[in-house]
Amino acid sequence: MNTPATLPFWQRTRLRMRKATWNYQRIDWSGYVFILPFFIPFLTFTVVAIIFGSYIAFNDWGIMGAPQFVGLANFKEAFTDEWVVKAFTNILRYGLIIVPGVTVLGLIFAVYVNKRWYFSGFVRAAFYSPNVVSATVIGLVWVWILDTQFGLLNKYLNMIGIPNIPWLTSTQWSLIGVSIASIWWDLGFSFVLFLAALQEIPRELQEAAEIDGASGMQSFWYVSLPILRPTISMIVTLQLIATMRIFSQVYMMTNGGPAGSSDSVIHYIYQTAIVRFRLGYAAAVSLMLFVVILIVTFIQQRLIRESVQ
Amino acid sequence: MAMHKKISRREFIRLAGLTAAGTALAACAPTAAPTEAPAAPAATEAPAAITQAPAVSKPTEILHWSWLAASDGEVWKQMIDSFNEAHKDKNISIKMEVIPEEQFVPKVVGAAATGQAPDFGWGTAGLRAKMIKDGVVVPQDDYASKVGLDLTDFTDSSLKASRYPSFGNKLYMTPMDAMSLQMQVNLDHVKEAGLDATKPPTTAEELMTWAKAMTKMDGDKVVRSGIMMTGSGVQPTVTWGIVARQMGFLRASDDLKQAAINPEAGKKAMQWVLDLFDTHKVSTRDVTDRYKAFGTGEGSMFWTGPWTLNGYIEQGLNFMTVFFPNVGGELHTYFELGGLEMYTQKDPGRYEATMYALKWLSDNCFLWTTKGRGAAVRKSVLAQPDYKTAGSPWEVRGAFVEGMSFATEGEIPVLEAPNFTIYSGGNFLAKTLETVWVGEKTIDQAMDEIQKQWQSDLDKG
Repeated sequence: MNTPATLPFWQRTRLRMRKATWNYQRIDWSGYVFILPFFIPFLTFTVVAIIFGSYIAFNDWGIMGAPQFVGLANFKEAFTDEWVVKAFTNILRYGLIIVPGVTVLGLIFAVYVNKRWYFSGFVRAAFYSPNVVSATVIGLVWVWILDTQFGLLNKYLNMIGIPNIPWLTSTQWSLIGVSIASIWWDLGFSFVLFLAALQEIPRELQEAAEIDGASGMQSFWYVSLPILRPTISMIVTLQLIATMRIFSQVYMMTNGGPAGSSDSVIHYIYQTAIVRFRLGYAAAVSLMLFVVILIVTFIQQRLIRESVQ
Repeated sequence: MAMHKKISRREFIRLAGLTAAGTALAACAPTAAPTEAPAAPAATEAPAAITQAPAVSKPTEILHWSWLAASDGEVWKQMIDSFNEAHKDKNISIKMEVIPEEQFVPKVVGAAATGQAPDFGWGTAGLRAKMIKDGVVVPQDDYASKVGLDLTDFTDSSLKASRYPSFGNKLYMTPMDAMSLQMQVNLDHVKEAGLDATKPPTTAEELMTWAKAMTKMDGDKVVRSGIMMTGSGVQPTVTWGIVARQMGFLRASDDLKQAAINPEAGKKAMQWVLDLFDTHKVSTRDVTDRYKAFGTGEGSMFWTGPWTLNGYIEQGLNFMTVFFPNVGGELHTYFELGGLEMYTQKDPGRYEATMYALKWLSDNCFLWTTKGRGAAVRKSVLAQPDYKTAGSPWEVRGAFVEGMSFATEGEIPVLEAPNFTIYSGGNFLAKTLETVWVGEKTIDQAMDEIQKQWQSDLDKG
């Protein structure tokens, strides 16, 4: 039936929409209405932002005025910029410290709580609580803890005869100092995931192992750990991506110094885009980071898959 | 009894759709239009101002963004409150919003790009060339003469620093206070070392004698710095900047064409900074927070600015401030000029009202320049008999006022000005110098890089 031409426009549109079909089925518009509150911000602040960022990477732009096309100049500059190289090297080093740290400690603490050993209720809250603290607080607290002369950590180390370590003021230690704070901050997330996964392991499997004479360690190693592999894979992947995008701790604790020894790519992007207003160049480095994360995640997924097989 | 009406799925969707559309439309609707601009000067006179407040038929609220957040921020708030109090029946007021310092410029530029910039904000002389080129900061000369701001009452150095030779030498900031880096000395340490506080060090040799006398060692490690330094960041960078200038190094020629004049002096200054740590052992790289460290007695002599005064006075630190010593042969120190800049507006009629507010704040800057932050830049204020007795005690404030005579190392007013800033912990200069402080690069390599980058920056204009 045709839509009567005599009807007003909005009524004709309404009728058409009501009768609209897709693949011989009438479209149920209510579904689209429900996803609209998510879809519009997602489209505006994610999809459009990515497309715009990719476009800006090939331009010279400082917010004001029109972008000027410069081709691959920003990428060429980034490849020869020693600070960019340093920042990329640093995030890989952060990954090598933070990812195993968060994964191993998260698993140990989850096992502790899962076994319901002493104070496990308190421990559960204590391990998760750093995760809900803001980055600013983490930064301020850890700058105090890691202070070379008056820091809490060095005070304890002095007690066992270890001299002061310049956690945040030397090129050798600054990356480690920031990593320690990051592990403490991120631990809660992996801890909760591991705990949930451990609680999902059927009790019968553990019992069968015990009946077969397996020790606690053997039971964990040969029963629990293989079952936890998907969780480990997920945590390693998510943590690796998060670590390669490390920013707040660097910004608050060392500002990337000394001499760029603790700088991260996102911090460098922030400095370039927000402090120096070189948005095109910053966008080019962002795209490079995206590609590096993609490659590293792909390699890491392949390695995990092969080890499982 | 409550009436219950069943709502059909179709009605619900219609209602939901209407609500969503309404919300979206409300969000997209333009914000309230700016209040009407003042037309012409009125007959009514502002209580503390020299000229009259502009006549306004409708209330005009001037939006001001400030990044002053410490004790100086409290004094600045008093200044704004005083303005509002003095103009409560004159339909003009200032609304102040505090923006974190590191976000200030991006937010102003972002707001200007969308036509929502504040009317005026705090600025630092010499750093705004890019914003001027982009039309974010507005020249003030015409508006200053319209509202009767007496430019002849300002010190020459403050006016010179507020102008940009590359942009018609126009005035882009109303100077408010001048700051320099001078040397604060912990008097308890002086007494402990048996030194005479009335004869502070003025030369490199005297400085080193004092530093060595007050430094405390634990074996081979410095545990209290005679000269308060950090291993990276602002402190070694600004120290290098000042000492290099004293030794005859210039970051840029007067005509802003040639970079890094007399690089040998710059290299010598780098070595001088390194020697503080490694040869003379009067400083340690282990200090994380220099302000806190001096306040807690971790250091004896500390070159810093007047913004630290209120904090140290409040905490009861026993200290004095003396001139930065002449280390290199010609006395110079860091110079920073704070002031108020106007930002681009959709409605140009607002500029005059804003300039009037700037004039009022400048005319009434006595409180700001005695208790707030730096030294006054108005000759009439400096000449007031109570200028020395008001505010912080002269023995801690005086050097910051009188030391302005040799404070010359300000910003280089070019597009890439941030690369030249010596008071920075994360710019190109600081990062390059850090590679020397940590031994990654040689002094020659660093100077070579600095020269190349700065020359390329100057070539950009």
